[in-house]
Amino acid sequence: MTDMEDFSAIRQQFPILDQRIHGHPLVYLDSAATAQKPEAVIDAESDFYRTINAGVHRGAHELAARSTVAFEEARAKVARLVHASEAEGEEEIVFTAGATASLNLLATSFGNASMGRGGAAARRFALQPGDEIVVSKAEHHSVLLPFQELAARTGATLRWFDLDDEGRIRSDTADTVITEHCKIVAITHVGNTTGAITDLAPIVSRAHEVGAIVVLDACQSVPHMRIDFHALDVDFAAWSSHKMYGPTGVGFLYGKRALLEALPPASFGGSMVELAFMDKPAQYMEPPARFEAGTQPVAQIVAAGVAADWMMGIGMDRVERHEATITEELLKLGEVEGVRILGPRSAERRIATVAFEVEGVHPHDVGQFIDAQGIAIRVGHHCAQPVHRHFGVFASNRASSAVYNTPEEARRLVEAVGGVRDFFRVK
Amino acid sequence: MALYGMSDEDLEQMYQEVILDAARDPHGKVTLEEQDTEAETGVTLSHTHEYCIPARSHQFNPTCGDEVTVHVEVSDGSDGGPQRIERLVWDGQGCSISQASLSVMVDLVEHKTVDEAMSMASDFHRLMDSRGKGVPDANLDDTLGDAVVFQGVSRYPMRIKCALLGWEGMKASVAQALSHMDSRPTMAMQTKER
Ligand SMILES: Cc1ncc(COP(=O)(O)O)c(C=O)c1O
Repeated sequence: MTDMEDFSAIRQQFPILDQRIHGHPLVYLDSAATAQKPEAVIDAESDFYRTINAGVHRGAHELAARSTVAFEEARAKVARLVHASEAEGEEEIVFTAGATASLNLLATSFGNASMGRGGAAARRFALQPGDEIVVSKAEHHSVLLPFQELAARTGATLRWFDLDDEGRIRSDTADTVITEHCKIVAITHVGNTTGAITDLAPIVSRAHEVGAIVVLDACQSVPHMRIDFHALDVDFAAWSSHKMYGPTGVGFLYGKRALLEALPPASFGGSMVELAFMDKPAQYMEPPARFEAGTQPVAQIVAAGVAADWMMGIGMDRVERHEATITEELLKLGEVEGVRILGPRSAERRIATVAFEVEGVHPHDVGQFIDAQGIAIRVGHHCAQPVHRHFGVFASNRASSAVYNTPEEARRLVEAVGGVRDFFRVK
Repeated sequence: MALYGMSDEDLEQMYQEVILDAARDPHGKVTLEEQDTEAETGVTLSHTHEYCIPARSHQFNPTCGDEVTVHVEVSDGSDGGPQRIERLVWDGQGCSISQASLSVMVDLVEHKTVDEAMSMASDFHRLMDSRGKGVPDANLDDTLGDAVVFQGVSRYPMRIKCALLGWEGMKASVAQALSHMDSRPTMAMQTKER
């Protein structure tokens, strides 16, 4: 079978795509917001409820045992997807409610460490006035705001990487942006608006040179490319299940094992504590349980593990190659009169997420016009206002693809965009 | 596959000619100068009619950046007649729905009494709440005129706010003008003396 045939078989695993919208076959180009789910994932979630549903890590009955095994297997699968450690006692994947929750967990933990929680081991995470936190102008609000708040709480200073004309993070300025005062660098792997892949190496090496912790926003990279967090040498990483073909309500926090062990908890309650007393401080569990307080969305986590497995079954290198063919087509948007791409205009070091502006036509109108032809794209600021300000706009249109898209669908979008200015009577 | 020229009924339902025309060349759109500080009190502003109280309201839609400042000048009723919106202009930018809605609102509301304007605003609100179905029991064609073309917009929850933005600005600025009148007894008396 050719790769093309293979991918058409893959596409058929997504029931939602087989429908007409406004009389046209649905073209879903909004996967950066949330990806559609293959049958395997949909079934995994409902099968869990049909056959194994029970609490995990507690109770002695058979269903509880099965559900615990399924839960921990999901963790191992997700670890494999990103080449993290899966060995028992060495786990590096924490389940959260989503990337936003993962990032807030970290910022809260760092804040707790700054107040002395977690003792001497956690001092490496502590911030005080004079310290610096570095982000970039390309960040999603879910990175910017938790760390901006952390700076406000601790008196640390927030600094940021600027972007070049194409919206790429200026990694070449790492040596000046990251100073000896820097304690944390929180940066995106792939811009959710620009689609640009960050040149991480100079940032990570400079951060580590000054002893800073690197937090990676991997939301837009994990679904689209082969990821090895050990090789990238980042300290923490956050991403969401729902953008990688899994259910909503689940996210992941990767942390180097030694760092997870030193990190104080952010959320407290059941399932994260070994010993609790009235008159003495509690003794918390080892990671990952230390960060998983309360009953977890087990069915969704199990299905997220199936999503990870499903992706590995295709092979992330192949996913990357397939999506590159869509990038090529989407970039032809730049050839349409009056269209400006907000991001890299060449297919190098970028993913098949392309934001664009149609001169003289508001994104809401563009999106509606495109939608009338059955094509779903995102319009707005995509939770990343600073990067839009960088390009001098408030909002944009964004087409983003996934394994199930075809170059033909991207061509349909480009053709549709070609009609926008006429329809809205822009000369 | 549809070419744009053969666009869907839905699309044409939403972007009727009235809307596309108004969005291209909206009525009442001006460049408003920065408001002077005294405007906060509603006492002095470069308003056209001596007996009018000016007020402004700034409206913003954070999801798409649509932004408008609505400026009204409301007659204070000192001539014995009802309070009336003597002037209605706006400054802003946004999608064609918000721009067209502002334009149509200016045509409808300028020179109407405050009561008439508020009643239209409430009819328009009902239309926007109708999920595309319209409001059959009310004769909105009579009261809302061109504004009934926005019925198609009411099918799209994300766009309703666009259509309402200007109306919200009108209501808020008129309310502000009225409150300035109330808080200004001496001025009213002076006007009467004149
Ligand atoms: C780059 C990036 N970071 C963070 C997030 C936040 O993810 P979530 O909303 O799933 O928590 C998103 C998605 O919206 C994103 O694209």
